[in-house]
Amino acid sequence: MSMEFANFPYLSAILLSCVVGLLVILFIPAERKMLIKWVSLVSAGIAMALSIYLFFAYDKAQGGLQFVEKVLWVESMGIYYFNAADGFNLPMLMLTGIVLFTGVLTMWDLETRVKEFFAFTFLLVAGVFGVFMSMDLFFIFVWYDVSLFPMYPLIAIWGSTRKEYGAMKLTLYLLAGSALILPGIIYLFVNSGLNTFDVVALMQPGTFTPFQQKFAFILLYLGFGILAGVWPFHTWSPVGHVAAPTAVSMIHAGVLMKLGAFGVLRVAIFLCPEGWQYWAQLMAVLATCGIVYGAFVGLAQTDLKYVIGYSSVSHMGIVGLGLATVTIDGLNGAVFQMFAHGVMTALLFSSVGYIYDRTHTKMIPELGGLSKTMPIASGYFILAALAGIGVPCLASFWAELLVFISSFKVYPVRGALAICALVVGALFMLRVVQRTFYGEKNEKFAHIPDVTFVQGIPRMILVAVIVIFGLFPSLMLDVVQTAVVPFINGLP
Amino acid sequence: MMKWTLFIPELYCLFMGVVFFGLAMVSRPNPRRDYFAALFLAGVGVVVALASVRLEGTLFFEAYRVDLFSQVFKVMLAMGFFLVVCLCTELNGIEERHHPEFYLFLTTCTLAMMMLVSSVELLTIYVALELSSYSLYILVPLRRGYGIDVEAGIKYLMVGASASAVMLFGLSYIFGVTHTTYVAEIIQVLPTVIGTPAAIVGLLLTLCGFFFKLAVFPFHFWAPDVYQGAANQVTAYIATASKVAAVAIIMRMVALTGGSSTYLVDVLVTLSIASMTLGNLVAIVQKDMKRLLAYSSISHAGYVLIGILSMSTTGYASAIFYILAYLVMNLCCFLVVVKVAHDGSDLKIAQLAGLHHRSPLLAMALMLAVFGLAGIPPTIGFTGKFLVFTAAMEKGYVALVIIAMINATISLYYYILVVKAAYLLEPDEELPRLSVSLPTKVLTVVLVTVMVVFGVAPSYLLEVARAAARMLM
Repeated sequence: MSMEFANFPYLSAILLSCVVGLLVILFIPAERKMLIKWVSLVSAGIAMALSIYLFFAYDKAQGGLQFVEKVLWVESMGIYYFNAADGFNLPMLMLTGIVLFTGVLTMWDLETRVKEFFAFTFLLVAGVFGVFMSMDLFFIFVWYDVSLFPMYPLIAIWGSTRKEYGAMKLTLYLLAGSALILPGIIYLFVNSGLNTFDVVALMQPGTFTPFQQKFAFILLYLGFGILAGVWPFHTWSPVGHVAAPTAVSMIHAGVLMKLGAFGVLRVAIFLCPEGWQYWAQLMAVLATCGIVYGAFVGLAQTDLKYVIGYSSVSHMGIVGLGLATVTIDGLNGAVFQMFAHGVMTALLFSSVGYIYDRTHTKMIPELGGLSKTMPIASGYFILAALAGIGVPCLASFWAELLVFISSFKVYPVRGALAICALVVGALFMLRVVQRTFYGEKNEKFAHIPDVTFVQGIPRMILVAVIVIFGLFPSLMLDVVQTAVVPFINGLP
Repeated sequence: MMKWTLFIPELYCLFMGVVFFGLAMVSRPNPRRDYFAALFLAGVGVVVALASVRLEGTLFFEAYRVDLFSQVFKVMLAMGFFLVVCLCTELNGIEERHHPEFYLFLTTCTLAMMMLVSSVELLTIYVALELSSYSLYILVPLRRGYGIDVEAGIKYLMVGASASAVMLFGLSYIFGVTHTTYVAEIIQVLPTVIGTPAAIVGLLLTLCGFFFKLAVFPFHFWAPDVYQGAANQVTAYIATASKVAAVAIIMRMVALTGGSSTYLVDVLVTLSIASMTLGNLVAIVQKDMKRLLAYSSISHAGYVLIGILSMSTTGYASAIFYILAYLVMNLCCFLVVVKVAHDGSDLKIAQLAGLHHRSPLLAMALMLAVFGLAGIPPTIGFTGKFLVFTAAMEKGYVALVIIAMINATISLYYYILVVKAAYLLEPDEELPRLSVSLPTKVLTVVLVTVMVVFGVAPSYLLEVARAAARMLM
């Protein structure tokens, strides 16, 4: 079997909408900024629509891999162009679509080097989509790196606050991560003896000895973990978030960090389940450190974007903790948290971006009383902050709940620590909200207009997603379950 | 079929050399005439090399072997020569009256390298190698007026002559041990005696001569000075075509052992790690683009060695693929160097500032090329590294692969500095847009397309490389 195609290659269509968008943008003269933005919006819209459609069209009763596209790519090395959707990657694809679309809308006012900005953005997003949908190790790695290197120009050109330092640090950290991933992948490929990069084929129990699994797992976990912001390799992340322009922060914190966690799941955990169980203790320790550390360091920040950056470290720790539990609930929660955190962070960065573009500061002491001058903009931020705290009826609540319940069962001490850290996290978020949006009004910013309806569209979309999945968590969990349950039950 | 048809690519090179010799005799310099003559002849040269790719046979009392391995390399050499000639539209680094000589010696050098990749007899190898070296000894100091050219020329000559001497000494050992100068017979005898000190010393000393060509540590000292001192086009040639030939002959020599010498592998691993690490670390502090590329080439020599020291078909195939990728990416870099420094001067990295609006196309090409050199997908450079590492992993060299990957990350830093200069920095004074002619644009687009397409879909090239590598076993 070298070829297998669904009726319509939806997944490839998502990729194509990005790649074609990129190519079209490349051929539009740089002066025609509006045209470039519209092309970007249309491409992003198609990608989002397709990803949402797939999420709801997935046959939950049947489960397993659906929308499969498989073409033999390099015969002598067993490389396949192999895309498929399952309960793990559907939420991620939808997340990417939503964040991309809202990110393009958020950057609608961009005026400097518009063409290059959107070209790099689409290259990056094509890579992200590729990693999420690919079921072939070679392509996963290729897409993974494709999604990383555009970060450098995106941050270094359009960013702020020590942008060159932030961009360089981020790029080197992340590509150092891929320096561990590539040997890991090649190690698995060579030792499987199957001469294939097909994840499904390599997943068969007994393909790798326990030692091989343990060795490869740690390479892959650390490699992908750097991107997932695993403590102590997280230091690039707040710096990078702060330096990046709004849409890039959104995509980066919202989607790209998930790429790391997803890589741990799809490559490391799928292929080395015994290595996973062996290293789970370590994963839990690192994740708990990240949760606690992120919360406490966030408490001391005065820069709004740093606050969000450290809260991301903390929240990604929750994903890590969920993965470390090796339970159904933990995995469910981890995947849900990836989605919920992605949407929430995108909303946070989007709101901060608006405030920063108008006031030219993101220092908390200089702001103050913003809810009086721009109540709607403040509202978006506050809602996202509440979602981050884990207020019921918002998406993160369910995700965090699942992770904490399961981690409390498996690792009582670390689970308890993490829950305490969550309280600290709530404290620091509320402190930020209180200082930035309430209290004394800063007259300097009194003249600034509030978010108009059109400008608010991307934020409304994000709010809607947070609320919908907060009210109806089963929408998400039913899909995730289809992948998690058979996987956990099939563990040796 | 007549036997001499096997020799057609070389004969064609000889013919080109005669033409340029004739042009050099004409008194009045005419750069445009020389350029178009060279462009046409070199273009036909690629066609000739491609047409003869399927030829097989031996010549000159078995001293000269034409097979897929040699023909693939001849195609690469012809392509490298053609592309370097493409860069010569503004050959300002060399005096006009010397232009025919410049093309003449490029041709003789290409001829020599074509002979080198086909030679299967030690003395023939030596003669071919010297012919190529002497051509380059003349080409390097041809540059006008910058002063460093003479230093570079002398340095190259001195180091090159020493390397040749060492190699001859090594060849004498091999002859002493095996009592033959024919590679086909050596390959029978050498694996049985490879354990003896004389054989291993002979082989290593012989390899030294080729390591000099490839600029492997510790024979790399000439590279930065020669890269900087020679005219940009000459450097482009040394950096690409010359490296291709070196890789071919190193593979031929290493294949002699039949993969049975762990001692040789240890030496190669050491040299490979030293080359990568030294090249990458020193490149970080470079301010001159050509010096940076020189150190980057030293590190790439290390990566290629990883493929070669795997001593398997996949290993040799990966090395062939890698050097082809390197040829394309490096030529793309030099294209930008030549175009930005169109007065023929050296290019400082800082002078790339503002390239993104002076010429968006060149900036993009440069970015892709240096990211390719850093081994980032979806470029051919990544695929090359991937294949090389896979070959090494198959032999169980896990640590080597991890070290190499860490090196790739280090190298990323200085490659990013180049991208930063091109995309981020603004020049102190407003510089005019670069006028990039249509043929140059086409060439750039072709190189970029090749880099990306064969990076994503390497199947065909990989099969060719494997078929060529099987000829060695």
